[in-house]
Amino acid sequence: MTDKKKYEGNDMIVTVDVDKIYPNGCHALKKVTTNIQRGEVVVIIGPSGSGKSTYLRTLNQLETISSGEITVDGVKMYDDDTNINKLRENIGMVFQSFNLFPHLSVKENVMLAPLKVAGRSKDEVISEAEVLLTRVGLAEKMDIYPSQLSGGQQQRVAIARALAMKPDMMLFDEPTSALDPEMVGEVLDVMKSLAADGMTMVVVTHEMGFANEVADRVLFMEDGVLLVDDIPENIFGKVTNHVRLQKFLSNIR
Amino acid sequence: MNEKPNKLKWHVLFIITIGLISAGIYSASQTINYKWQWHLVLPYIIDTSPIDIIAQGDANAAVNADGVITLTFDNGDPSRVISGADQVLISDGDLIFEGDLLARKEGIRSGVLIDGLYMTLKISVISLLFSIIIGLIAALMRISDNPFSKNLSVLYIEIIRGTPLLVQIFIVYFFLGTIFDLDRFTAGVVALSVFTGAYVAEILRSGIQSISAGQMEAARSLGMTYTKAMTYVILPQAFKRTLPPMAGQLINLIKDSSLVSVISITDLTKAGREVVSGSFATFEVWFTVAALYLVLTSTLSWGIQRIEKRLANNDR
Repeated sequence: MTDKKKYEGNDMIVTVDVDKIYPNGCHALKKVTTNIQRGEVVVIIGPSGSGKSTYLRTLNQLETISSGEITVDGVKMYDDDTNINKLRENIGMVFQSFNLFPHLSVKENVMLAPLKVAGRSKDEVISEAEVLLTRVGLAEKMDIYPSQLSGGQQQRVAIARALAMKPDMMLFDEPTSALDPEMVGEVLDVMKSLAADGMTMVVVTHEMGFANEVADRVLFMEDGVLLVDDIPENIFGKVTNHVRLQKFLSNIR
Repeated sequence: MNEKPNKLKWHVLFIITIGLISAGIYSASQTINYKWQWHLVLPYIIDTSPIDIIAQGDANAAVNADGVITLTFDNGDPSRVISGADQVLISDGDLIFEGDLLARKEGIRSGVLIDGLYMTLKISVISLLFSIIIGLIAALMRISDNPFSKNLSVLYIEIIRGTPLLVQIFIVYFFLGTIFDLDRFTAGVVALSVFTGAYVAEILRSGIQSISAGQMEAARSLGMTYTKAMTYVILPQAFKRTLPPMAGQLINLIKDSSLVSVISITDLTKAGREVVSGSFATFEVWFTVAALYLVLTSTLSWGIQRIEKRLANNDR
C-alpha cells in the first residue's frame, strides 16, 4: 500500500529509459529519462505526434510502458505490490476535452471521487467542494450541469475535480487546446495560481507564453525522443543552439 | 403564424379515419353473420357469480336461526363456524360428507381474464428484473478483455438470438425442467429472462461503448477502480442513453410472455383461449385480450418516457 507521507525526497517523478511501443508497431517513446522535482512546474512542448501526451499519460499509467521505470513519490509504478489506484489518487489529471461527468452537477463532479474513493464524510466533502469551486471562480455554478457551462468554465471545474483528491502533483494534457481563444486566459490564470502555491505540475501545452512565464523547466520532444531539457530562458531566449527546437518555435510563431 | 386551425383539421381527419376503420370492421363481421355479444366477456373480467362453500371433511352440521353453520368433524378436527352465507343449502342436524356444497356467498371476484392479466404481469415483472441483471452481466463480460468471459458472453448471446423463443421455452421446460425439477412458472421465468437478457446485453453493450473513452480515463485518473468507474460514471450514462431501445425490448418481453401459455401457465393468452372455449365469443375475447396487453405495454412505455424526461432535464 502506498503511503504518500512516507517519501520525503526531492524527486517527485523519476522516469528512466521509458519506452513505449504500441501493438501496431508505432514507437511513441524512446528512452525518455528525466526527473521532476517536488514543487517544480515542467512544461512539455513539441510538434503533434511527438509523444508528449503519451509521455504525460504514462505518468499515471493511463498508458502502460513497454520498458523502463517510473517512480512516483518514491513508489515504483510497476512493482507487483504497487496499487495503481492508490497512486493515482495522488496524481490529479486535467484533459484536453475536459471529460466532466455529464450526468452529475458541477458540485457532484467535484465530490464524486472524495466520496467514493477517499471515503470522506459527506459534510466535509461538500464544504471542500464549495471552497475549491470558489477558488476557480465558479461559486455560482455549483448546482448546474457541465453542458450548461462554457469550455473555460468546464475546464476550471475539471481542475477543481482533480484538486478535490488533494493530489501532490497535477498533470495537464493540453488543457487549453479545445478552448475558444477568449477562454484560454481564465484557465491559465487558475493554473498559474496553482503553480504559485507550489503544486508540482507537468503541463503539455502549446501556450508558449505560459511556458515562458510559469515553467521552471521546459522539455522539448520530437519523434518520441526527449531532445531538449532546459530552463525557459535558454529555450525561448534569442539564441537557441538546437536546430530542431529552433525550427519548431519558428513554425508556431 | 397561426398553426391551430390547420392542426385541428388533421385531428378531425384522424378521428374520421379511425371511425371508418371501426365501421369497416363492424360491417365486415356483419357479412359473416357474426353476432357481437360483449356482455358474455364481462363475467370473465369481473366475476359476480356466488361463491360455493364446500365441506372439507365428514361432519355433523348445526344450523341456527341466523343461518350460522357449525360443523363438528368426525375425525376430531376443530369445528368450523361458517357465518354470513347468503344462501344456506343444508338444514340443522344434517350429516355432511367431504365435498358437500354447504352454502353460497355473494361476492365480487376477479374474472379469469384478470387473473390471467395478473399472471402475465407477474411473470413479466420478475423476468424483467432478471433479464436486466443477466443482460448487465453479459454486457460487462462482452466488453471485457478476458477472452474467457468475452467468448462465453458471445456464445450465450448468439445461441439465444439465433433460436426461437418458443423452442427455448420447450427446452427449458422439458429438458432443464425435468433435470432440475422446475415448476412451470419458474421454467417460464427462466426462459423469458434468459431470452430477453441476451437482447438487453447487446443494447447495454452498445450503450457502454458509446460513452467516450475519456469518461473512463477521467474516472480512473481520480483513483477509481474499474468497478467504481463503471458504477458511478459509465453505467449511469449508458443506462440513460439506452432507455429508448430498452423500452422497446421490455415491451417485447411483455408480449413474448404470451408464449409461456404453451407450457400451461394460465397467463392472459391462455386465459383468453379458455374463455373462448367457454363463451364462444371469439372475436370479443381476443379484442379484450389485445386491449389488456395494450394496457400493460402502454403503461410501461409511459413510465419509461417519464423517466427519460426526468433525466433529460438534468443535462442536455
